[in-house]
Amino acid sequence: MSIRAVILVLCLAPTTAGLIGAVIPATGWFAPLGRSDFSIKPVIMFLDQPGIWSSIWLSGFTAITATLLSYVLAMFLLASIYRNGRSGVLFRLISPLLSVPHITVAVGFLFLLQPSGWLIRLLSPWLTGWDRPPDLYIIPDEVGIGLIIALTAKELPFLMLMGLSALSQIKVNDTLDQASSLGYGTYSGWLYTVQPQLSSRMRLPVLIVLIFSVSVVDMALVLAPSVPAPLAPRILEWFRDADLDFQFIAAVGAVAQLVLALLCCLIWLLSGRMMTRLIRVLIYHGLRPNLSAWMCQTMRLAVFTVALLPCILSVLGLISVTIWGFADIWRFPDSLPDDWGYRAWISSADNMIVAGTNSLIIGLASSCLAVCLVIIWLEQTASRRQSTIESWLYIPLLLPQASFLFGLQIVLIWLRLDGLYITLIWVHMLFVLPYVMLSLGGSWRQFDQRYTELSATLGASQMKQFFRVKLPILLTPIMTAFAIGFAVSCALYLPTVFASNGRMITLTTEAVTLATSASRQALGVASFLQMILPLIVFLCCDAIIRLRLKPFRHFRH
Amino acid sequence: MKRKQNNLSIFRCFYQYLPQLAIIATVSFFGLYQSLAKADDFETTITNAKGQTVYFNAWGGSPAINEYIAWAGERIADEYDITLKHVKLSATSDAVSRILAEKTSGKSTGGSVDLIWINGENFAAMKSHGLLQTDDWAYHLPSFQYTDAKLLPGIKTDFGIPTDGQEAPWGRAQLVFGYDTAYVNTPPRSADQLAQWIIANPGRFSYPKPPDFTGVSFLKQILLETSPTPDMFLEPADQTDPNTALAPLWKWLDQAHPHMRKGGKHFPANYTAMIQMLGDGELAIAFAFNPTEFSNGIAQGILPNTIRSYVHDSGTLANVHFVAVPFNANSPAAAKVVADFLLSPEAQLHKANSDIWGDPTVLAMHKLPPDMQDAFAALPKGIATLNESELGKTLPEFHPSWVSVIEQQWAKRYIGQ
Repeated sequence: MSIRAVILVLCLAPTTAGLIGAVIPATGWFAPLGRSDFSIKPVIMFLDQPGIWSSIWLSGFTAITATLLSYVLAMFLLASIYRNGRSGVLFRLISPLLSVPHITVAVGFLFLLQPSGWLIRLLSPWLTGWDRPPDLYIIPDEVGIGLIIALTAKELPFLMLMGLSALSQIKVNDTLDQASSLGYGTYSGWLYTVQPQLSSRMRLPVLIVLIFSVSVVDMALVLAPSVPAPLAPRILEWFRDADLDFQFIAAVGAVAQLVLALLCCLIWLLSGRMMTRLIRVLIYHGLRPNLSAWMCQTMRLAVFTVALLPCILSVLGLISVTIWGFADIWRFPDSLPDDWGYRAWISSADNMIVAGTNSLIIGLASSCLAVCLVIIWLEQTASRRQSTIESWLYIPLLLPQASFLFGLQIVLIWLRLDGLYITLIWVHMLFVLPYVMLSLGGSWRQFDQRYTELSATLGASQMKQFFRVKLPILLTPIMTAFAIGFAVSCALYLPTVFASNGRMITLTTEAVTLATSASRQALGVASFLQMILPLIVFLCCDAIIRLRLKPFRHFRH
Repeated sequence: MKRKQNNLSIFRCFYQYLPQLAIIATVSFFGLYQSLAKADDFETTITNAKGQTVYFNAWGGSPAINEYIAWAGERIADEYDITLKHVKLSATSDAVSRILAEKTSGKSTGGSVDLIWINGENFAAMKSHGLLQTDDWAYHLPSFQYTDAKLLPGIKTDFGIPTDGQEAPWGRAQLVFGYDTAYVNTPPRSADQLAQWIIANPGRFSYPKPPDFTGVSFLKQILLETSPTPDMFLEPADQTDPNTALAPLWKWLDQAHPHMRKGGKHFPANYTAMIQMLGDGELAIAFAFNPTEFSNGIAQGILPNTIRSYVHDSGTLANVHFVAVPFNANSPAAAKVVADFLLSPEAQLHKANSDIWGDPTVLAMHKLPPDMQDAFAALPKGIATLNESELGKTLPEFHPSWVSVIEQQWAKRYIGQ
C-alpha cells in the first residue's frame, strides 16, 4: 500500500497544487505578484474580453461534436466488423495514426486542405480553373469543422483500440448469436445486447477524449478560427501576455475551462442516460428493424466511408507534410515541387537536433518511469479488478490541461523547479502514466498465475518468479505500453510549455511555433521528424518483441 | 524584428520593490565609473572584455538574421577574444520579463542577459524601470562617430523616447509594401487607393492579426494617412480622446474588412505567414518592416520573381532598432565591445548585403571613409529592393503608449463580432 501511496502522491500532488494555483489567482489574490486582496475583478475582466462567449461556445461545440462523431463511428465500425474477425486488419490500418502527434495531423490537414493546399493544387487549374488559391474560408473555417475532423481522425483509432480491448471482456459472439436466433439483425442485435455492456466500459476513454477536446491547444492554434479563438488557445495567449493583469484573466480562464469541461461531461452523461432509456423502450417493444441485405450493405459502406475519410485525409496530409520537407520551391498550382532539395533540413538542423534530442530523452525517460510505476502498482494490487483508488490515477486526463498546468507552473516557479529536465519528465509522466495503465492493466490482470506458481514449486524465489517468468511472458504488452507512452509524451504541447516555462523546445513546441509563422519547408521538416520519432520507437519495440519471441516461434500456431 | 508588446502596467505592482533601486543605483554607479572612459579609453574596455562571454538575447525567428549573428560571433572571437552566444528568443518580451524577474528577486549582478535587441515599447519599459545600464555608453562607442543624428533622428529618439545613450543603434526598418506584378498592374500608393484596390480585388489582401507587431504597424500607417491630425500620435495617448483619434482607422477598416481575405474574419498570425500567402498567390499585396524582405523572399524561393516593392507616396512608417545592456549584465564591458562591432562599418556593410540579411545601415554615408562609401554603393541589390530615393519619405513612429490603445480597441471592435 505504501508504494502505491507514493505513486498516487507523485501523480496527484502536482495536479492538486496546480488546481489550487489556478483557483486562488482567479479570485484576485496572488501574493507572489503583490496582490493580496480578494476581489471579483478578474472575473469581470475575463467576461469583458472581446468575443469571450464565442470562444466558450466554440470550445464546447467542437469538443462535443468531435467526441460524438468519433464515438458513434467507432461503435459502428466495431459493430460492422467485430463479428467477422476482420477487426484486426482494419485496426492495423488505422493504428499507425495513434502514434502520430496531434499537431502533426493538424499540420497535415492544413497543408492538404487550405486554399493553397495540396488537394486544390492537385485539382488546379485543369479541373477548377483556379490559377490562384481561391478565397475560401476553409482550414481554418469559421465554425471549427476542420478542427472537428482532425480531432476525429486522432480519437477514432484511440476509441477503436479501447473498444476492442473492452469487447475482449464481453462474450460478443454468443450474445449476438442468441440475439439473431430471436430475429434481431446485426445492428439491432448489437445495439440491444452488446452496446449496453460496451458503453459502460467505454465511459472512461470517452470522457478522456471529451476533456482532451475541450482543452486542446496545439490543434486549435492551427485549425480553429482565430477571431476569436477557442477558449484553450486564448488562455495560453493571456498567460503569455507580459501584462500582469492578464495572469489573473488566464487564471479565471483556466477555471472557466474546468467548468466548461464538467458541463460537457454532464451533457454527455445525461444524453447517454437518455439513449439507454430509449433503447430500453425499443427493447421493451421488441422492435426489430430488419434491414434488407442491400440496405445493410449500403449502410456499412456509408459508415466505412465516413469513418475512414478523416483517416485518409490525415494520411494524405502526412504525405504532403513529407513532400514539403523536401521541397525547395513549390509554387501554386503545381501538383509537386518545382525544385526538390533538403535546404530546409540544413538550415533548421541546429534547432531540430536540440528539439529532437529533448523529445527523445523526455519521451524515453517519462515512459520508462511510467511503465515501471504501473508495473509496481499492478504488482502491489492483489485484486484482479480495478480499484477505485486506481481510477484516481486518471485524474490528470480528466481535468482540462490548462486548468491545472497554469497553477502548476506558478508552484514550480515558486519552488524554482521550472525549466528543469527532471520537472519536465515528471509532468510528462502525469499524462503518460494513465495511458500506460489503460494499455497494460488489462493484460497484466489476465496473466495466468499458474506460471509463477509452477516456478515457485520448482524453487524460484519471488524475484526470480517475477523477472524470469512473469516479465518475459508479458513482454509484448509491456513494450506496447512503452511505445504508446512514448507517443503520448511526444505529442504533449501544453504540459511542455508550462513546465519548462517556455524555455525548453521539443519537436512539438517547434512545430506549433512554426505552424503559425515561418516557412512551410521548416514546418515540413519538424512535422516529418515528429511523425518518424514515435514510429521508430514503435518499430524498435516491435523488433525487441520479435527477437525475444524468435526462439519460441515453433510453439506458435 | 518581432516584439510582443509590453504593457506598462506589468511593472505597476513592482513599485513595492523600489527599495531595491538602492542596490541598482550602486551597480549603476560602478557602470558609470566604468564608462567615464571615453572613446580613447575604449581600449581599456576591450582589454577588460578579453575572454568574456556575451549572452546576446535576440529574436531568433529568421534564419538569415541568425546566420548574420553567427558570423558576427566568429569575427568577434577572432578580433576581441569574446565568445558571443545567441539566445534565440521567440519574443523579446520574454527576456524583458526575465530581467524584471531578476531585478525583483534582487539579482543585481551576474544577470542572464548581457546584450538585448530591442526598440520601442520594450525599450521604453526597460528604461523607465531602470533595467538598463543608465550611463550614455552608446554615445562613446568608437563606431558611433560614423552616425549622424541630424540626418537620422531615430538613432537618438526611439519611438519618441530619448535613448540617452542607453542603447546603441544597430539597424533601420521601414514599412515597405510588396505586390505581385502578375496580378496587380499599378500598385495603390495611398491608404485611400489601397481601400479602393481591396474593394475591387476581393480576398487578395490581409494583415497580421494585432497584437502582432507588423499588424499594429500597418494600422499605424493607415492612421497616419487618414487622420486629420497625425501629429497627436507623437504625444502620449492619454493626452487625447482615443475614440476621436482612432475614428478614421475604424472607418477605413469597416470599409475594407468585408473585402479582405476570408471576409476580414481571419488574419495571418504574423508577417512571415503573410509573406507565405503572397508567395502562394493567396494575397496579391503584402508588406514588411524590412526594405529587402521581398528580394530575400525571391532569393529563398518563398516568393515568385514577379514580386516588386513599393511605398506609399506620403511616406511610410520607419524606426531604428537597437542593442542595449541590462543593468545586471554579467559581462557589460564585452557587451559594449560587441555593440561597437555591430555598429562598425564592416559589420554594417555585411548586414546591409541583401544576400546576407539586407537590413539597412544606421551609419551616415558622408561620415564614412571613401572606400567604405564605395563598398556600400556597390552592394548587390535584389530585383525587388527599392533604392534610398525610391524609399522616399519616412514617417515617425507613434509614442509607445498608443500600441496598447490600438490593440485593445481593435480587439473590442473586430473579435467575436
